[in-house]
Amino acid sequence: MSADKVKSVKDDLVLQHKLFSLSRVWAIAFNTFTQLVRMKVFYFMLIFSVLIIGANFLFLNFTFEQELKILKDVSFGAMTLFASIFSIVGTALLIPKDIEDRTLYTILTKPVPRFEYLVGKLIGIIFLVAVSLVLMSFLFFAVLYFRQHGILAEEIKMIRGGATDAQKEYLKETIFAQGVRPELILGVLAVFLKAAVAAGVALVVSTFASSTLFTIIVSLVVYFIGHAQSLALEYYFPEGQIHGALQRFIAGIVAVVFPNLQMFNIFDGLITGQSISTTLMFRLIGLTGFYLTIYSMISWILFAKKEL
Amino acid sequence: MMAEEIIPAVQINNLTKIFPVPFRKEKVIAVEDLSLRVEAGEVYGLIGPNGSGKSTTMKVLLGLISATSGSSAIFGLSSSETASRGSVGFLPENPYFYKYLTGAETLSFYGKLCGLSRRKIKERTSELLSLVDLENARDRRLGGYSKGMLQRIGLAQALVGDPRLVVLDEPTAGVDPAGSRKIRDLIIEFKQRGISVILSSHLLEQVQEVCDKVGIIFQGKLVKEGKLEELIEIESQTEIILEHADPKILDQINKLVQASEETRLLRSGKPKTTLERLFLKETRAESEDVRKDA
Amino acid sequence: MDIIRKERALSIVTKLKSYSYRRLLLSLIILGGFGFVRIPIEMNTEKMLKEQGFRDWSPSMSAREQLTQASFVGSIGGFRSLIASIYDLRAHQAFRDKDWASVEKFRGVTTSLQPRFAKHWDLAAWDLAWNAYAYYRNKSEWAEDGVESWQMKNIMMPRYLEKGLEFAKQGAEWVPESYRLSMVVADIYSQKYNDPELASQWYLKSSQADDAPPYVFRAYATHLARCEGKEEKAYEVTSSLYRSTRFGTRALTLTVRRDMERLEDHIALSAANKMSLEQLESAALSNGSTYLDYAKLGMHLLEVKKDLKATLAVYREIVNDKNAPLFYSRKLLMLLARNPANQEQAYEALKKLLKRSPEIFRRQDLIEFTKLETSLGASKNNREK
Repeated sequence: MSADKVKSVKDDLVLQHKLFSLSRVWAIAFNTFTQLVRMKVFYFMLIFSVLIIGANFLFLNFTFEQELKILKDVSFGAMTLFASIFSIVGTALLIPKDIEDRTLYTILTKPVPRFEYLVGKLIGIIFLVAVSLVLMSFLFFAVLYFRQHGILAEEIKMIRGGATDAQKEYLKETIFAQGVRPELILGVLAVFLKAAVAAGVALVVSTFASSTLFTIIVSLVVYFIGHAQSLALEYYFPEGQIHGALQRFIAGIVAVVFPNLQMFNIFDGLITGQSISTTLMFRLIGLTGFYLTIYSMISWILFAKKEL
Repeated sequence: MMAEEIIPAVQINNLTKIFPVPFRKEKVIAVEDLSLRVEAGEVYGLIGPNGSGKSTTMKVLLGLISATSGSSAIFGLSSSETASRGSVGFLPENPYFYKYLTGAETLSFYGKLCGLSRRKIKERTSELLSLVDLENARDRRLGGYSKGMLQRIGLAQALVGDPRLVVLDEPTAGVDPAGSRKIRDLIIEFKQRGISVILSSHLLEQVQEVCDKVGIIFQGKLVKEGKLEELIEIESQTEIILEHADPKILDQINKLVQASEETRLLRSGKPKTTLERLFLKETRAESEDVRKDA
Repeated sequence: MDIIRKERALSIVTKLKSYSYRRLLLSLIILGGFGFVRIPIEMNTEKMLKEQGFRDWSPSMSAREQLTQASFVGSIGGFRSLIASIYDLRAHQAFRDKDWASVEKFRGVTTSLQPRFAKHWDLAAWDLAWNAYAYYRNKSEWAEDGVESWQMKNIMMPRYLEKGLEFAKQGAEWVPESYRLSMVVADIYSQKYNDPELASQWYLKSSQADDAPPYVFRAYATHLARCEGKEEKAYEVTSSLYRSTRFGTRALTLTVRRDMERLEDHIALSAANKMSLEQLESAALSNGSTYLDYAKLGMHLLEVKKDLKATLAVYREIVNDKNAPLFYSRKLLMLLARNPANQEQAYEALKKLLKRSPEIFRRQDLIEFTKLETSLGASKNNREK
C-alpha cells in the first residue's frame, strides 16, 4: 500500500466520523428497548390487568366515590410502582450486564462515543417506561370509563319511580366528575417524569457501581430519600423555626445531592379534583429535562475514562 | 526518508499500563515499555502466555482503557479519539452478544453503529452471514448459538463496517479445528484484500501459518519480534524431503554425508503429518462420504 | 507463581473499576452546583403546588403518628391516595365491628391524608354522628343497668355527635366549593341538635355552593321558617320560593305552601295585635297595598274586633286578588261556614275546592271539614224527620 493511500485513510476517518450521531443513539436506544421487550417485561401487563379489574370487584357495597377512587388509586399505585421499577431495574440490569458480559467492548470499539452509549441506554429505558405507561393508561381509562357508566346505570335504577331527566343529568355530572377526566392524563405524565428522573439516577449509579445488585440498592435508597426531600428542605429553610446548625447542614447536603421526587406526586391532588396549572406542568417537565441533562453529564464524566 | 512518512496501521510507542490496586500501595504492571508497529496490509501475531499483557495492549489500542504512559495510534489517530475506531473491527476473546437478538439483527445493530445506510446494512448482513456460514441461523436468536457460532457471528460483527484493521483477541480459543481453519482462511483473505490484522494467541502453531510478523510478549514486555521465518528457522540445519525414495539413493546420500567432515545426519525416517492435519483430512473425507451416500 | 498472582490481582482490579478521583470530585461539584441552581426553582415549584392544593398533607402533622411505618413511607412515596383508601377500608371494617374508637381514628387518618376529598369527611361525620350515635342510643335503651344507660346517653352519645359535627365542620372548611359538608353540618344541627337556627345558617351556606341541588335551599327556607323571631326574613325567602315555579314537584312545594300559610298568618296576627284598625285600614286602602295588608286587616277584624261580617268582606277582597295564594279561598269558606245560614253553601264550595286542590287543606282543615259534613248531615236528617 502506498504512503498516499494510507495517509488518506487517516483523513477519511477524521472526515467521516460524526462527533454526535442521532442514528447511533437511536440504534442503542432501540436495541435496549427490544432487549427489554424480549425479556418479556410486558408480562407485567397481566398483573396490572388483574389488579385493576380485581379492584372493581372488591368493594361493591361502597359509595360510587369510594369505588371509583379505589380503582384510580390502585391503578395509579401500580403505574407508579411499575414505572419506577422498570426505570431503576432496567437501567441497573442492562449497563452493568453489558460490562460484565463484555458486550460493551464490541459496541465501544465501533466509532461510538461513550456519551452516545449512555444517552442511548437512557433513552431506550425511558422509551420502554413511556410505552408501558401508555399501555397501562389505555387499560385504566377503558376500565374507568366502563365502570363510571356501569355505576351511573345502577344509580339511575335505584331511584324509585324512575329518574327524571334533571336527576339523570345531575347523577351523570357527579359520577363522571370522579371518572375519566383529562387531568388524569397529567397524573400519568407526572408518574412518567418521576420514573425518568429515577432512570437518570440509576444511570449515574451504574457508571461507577460494579454490579447490578449494588446499582439497584443504591438507586432505591436515592429514590426513597428523594421522596423525603421536602422534609429536608423544611429543615433547611424553616419558616420561622430555627434548628441546630448540624441538622441544617445535613439536611442541606441531602437537599443538594438528592433529587426531589416528591415534586412529582400530584396524583393525590388530581384525584380530589384539583386542577394543575399549565405553568406548573411545564415546570415539572423542564425540571425533569434539567435533571436528565445533568445526570447524563455526570455519568459521562464518570464513564468517559472508565477502565473497561 | 520516505519510510517516515508512511503511516502504519498500528503504532504503539513505549506503552506502559499500570493498574493501581485500591487501598494498597503496590501496583500491577500489566504492560511495560512496549512498542510495536503494524504496517498497512500486514498480519501481526502477538503471542504469549495467559496474563502476559496481550489483551491489555489491545484494550489500550482500542481505547477501552487508557495508557499510563506511552502512546498508541491507529492509522495515525490516537486511540483516545473515537474517530480512530472508524475503520476497526474487533473480536474480543469469548465474545458475548445480546442473546435476544437474531444473527441478522445483531449484524444490523452493529452496522448502524458504524453509520452504514439501511441498504448497505442489508447487503453486508447477507454477505457476512454467508461468509461465516451462518445463513441457516440468520433468524435464530443468539441465545441458541453454540460457542463456535458465537465466535463466527463475532467475526462477522467485526467485519460489518468494512474495516481496514481487524483486531482479533484469541480468535481460535475454544473453536474446533475446522473452525480454526476457517478463521485462518479468512485472515489470509483479509491479507489479500489489504486489510491489516493484529491477532493475539497463546497457541503458537496457529499463528505460524498466517502471520507476516510475530511479537512474543512475556510479563508485559515484548521479548522478541520479527518476521516469522526468520524467527523460527534454524540456520545450521537443512531439511530434505523425498517422495518414492529408492533405498539405493538413500544409501548413496548416507555415504555422501559420512564422507563429509562437518555434515552430520540427525534424523531420517517417514515425515509425520500433524495431528491437526490428520483430523482435518479424516473429517473432510467422512463428510464427503456422507454426502456421497446421500 | 508471579504470573498467577498478577493475573488474580488484575482481575480484581478490573472489577473494582479504577476511575480517577479527580473525575469523581468534578461530578460531585457539578451535582452540588446543580443542587444550588435547582433548589430555589424547586422550592418555588413546591410553593406553587401548595397554592394549587397539592400539598394539603404535611408529613409532620399529627396524623403521622397514627400511620404505620409502611404507610408513612408509602404516603411520602406517592401512594398517599392509595393509603387513604386503605384506611377507608379499615374504617369500614371497624364500623362493621362496631369498634367506634377505631372508626374515629381511621377516619381521622383518611381525612388528614386527603383533606380535599369531600367523601372522607362525609363518611367520618356519618359514621360518628349517625352510626355511633344510634348505636349508643339503642344500647342505652336496652341497657339493664341504669348507670350504664346514663353513661351511654350522657357521655357516649354527645361525644360522638360532637366528633361527627367537628369532622363535618372541618370538611366544610377544607372543601368549601362543595355543598356537601356544610349540608352535613346543617343536617346534624337539624336532626340531632334540633336547632333550626344553626341548621338554617349552614343550609344557606351549603346552598350557595355551585354544585348545590335545589333541595338545599328549600331546606334552608323550611328551617328558617321554624326560627322564632325571624318570620319576616323567613317569609321573604319562602314567598320567593313559593312564587318561583322553577323548583320541584308538587309534593315538595307542600312544605313551602304550609310554611307560607303559617308565616302569613303569623305576620298578619302580630300586625293585627300591634296596630289599630285605622292604621290597618289606611294601609290596606293606600296605593300599592298587597293582599297581605288586607290579611292583616282581616285578622284584626276577626281576632280583635270579632267582627265576622267585616272579616268576610275583607277576605272576599283577598280572594279576588290574583296574587293571593289559593288557601285564602279555603279560609274564606271556612269562615263563611261559621254562620249556620251559609253552612250548606260553604260546604258545597269547600267540597269542590277539596276535590280540585287537596294540597291547600291542612290536617286541622280536614278535621273541621269532616265536622261540618257530619253536622250538616245531622241537620238534614232532622229536617227530613
